[in-house]
Amino acid sequence: MTSRRPYVESPVIMSTVRLVAPFVLTFGIFVTLHGASSPGGGFQGGVIVASVIVMLSFAYGIDLTWEWLDKRVLVGITAGGVALFGGIALGAVLLGGQFLELAVYPVKDAVKYGIELVEVGIAMIVTGVIVSLFFALARGAMPPAGETDADTERGGNEAAATDGGNGSASPSAESTDGGENA
Amino acid sequence: MITWIEGGLLLFVVLTALMTAMLRDVLAAIIVFGGYSLGMAILWVVLQAPDVGLTEAAVGAGVMTVLFLVTIARTTRMTGLEVTTVDVNWSAAVLCVVFVFAVLATVPALPAVGAGPEANPAFGEVSSYYIENAYDDTHVENVVTAVLVAYRGFDTFGEATVVFAAGVAVLTVLRREVFE
Repeated sequence: MTSRRPYVESPVIMSTVRLVAPFVLTFGIFVTLHGASSPGGGFQGGVIVASVIVMLSFAYGIDLTWEWLDKRVLVGITAGGVALFGGIALGAVLLGGQFLELAVYPVKDAVKYGIELVEVGIAMIVTGVIVSLFFALARGAMPPAGETDADTERGGNEAAATDGGNGSASPSAESTDGGENA
Repeated sequence: MITWIEGGLLLFVVLTALMTAMLRDVLAAIIVFGGYSLGMAILWVVLQAPDVGLTEAAVGAGVMTVLFLVTIARTTRMTGLEVTTVDVNWSAAVLCVVFVFAVLATVPALPAVGAGPEANPAFGEVSSYYIENAYDDTHVENVVTAVLVAYRGFDTFGEATVVFAAGVAVLTVLRREVFE
């Protein structure tokens, strides 16, 4: 359906997203960092932060947003979250405590700040995974380059990348009958 | 016992769940499913579980709906489809209803909300320990977060790494070089 048609920019959606996105991002970070004192935490905050990227994709086009994203940052956020959580857990062992025994850190209110750092790590993992998943699903299962009209809206370098991405199992089978949708 | 807002939300949730299962048009089912998640989120808040409500609203009503939508956007859809339901397997439906009533019959045996440890031998002791000691142990006001990270840190670490590993696995299965 809509995926076969080229993306059409909507000024209403674009300006709404431009206005709302900074507040949603702030709310996501707030939910993450304030999870120790109010409802929320890393899982919820991470999802809200990821939804900013999803919103931007809906307003400015999925492929454009994907090109704009720095993939190293995406990988870094996801793996860095695991490393942060694991590092805090193992750091306690280095300081003579047990795995995840946050109280051994020589800081005032070590448990509280440890918990908040762990929440940040969780939020990083969740954000990275959801953003990657969204783009994998939204851009994935696209037909290989040069087979259907769906490629016209995409850049050449990306179309080349699709060739490598889709293996022998061809997800383009269902897109060839796209004409039925009219 | 049940306020009208709880009753209304429960009715809404059950109706949207039934519609999600029975609508033939997948797009309509996804939209109704988003409504179901929103109803559940509000119900959690009404039942004083705002952490769960926030998760349900963000994940269930928000991200899951979007992921479902971008998934079916890659399929073809017959337009002009009237609002029809799938053919109901009546024997399975009757079995489900019987099962639901069998489970509902156990509800009166549950301990009352907020009952002490003596009424709830399985979890009462540990939950009242958390409620009494969480602030002194961790200096964190939200007891849910204290339990999640301080008392149940191993579980949460496993949970977070499972999210990471599942993400890696799904991206591998989708056979796409996402991180080109």
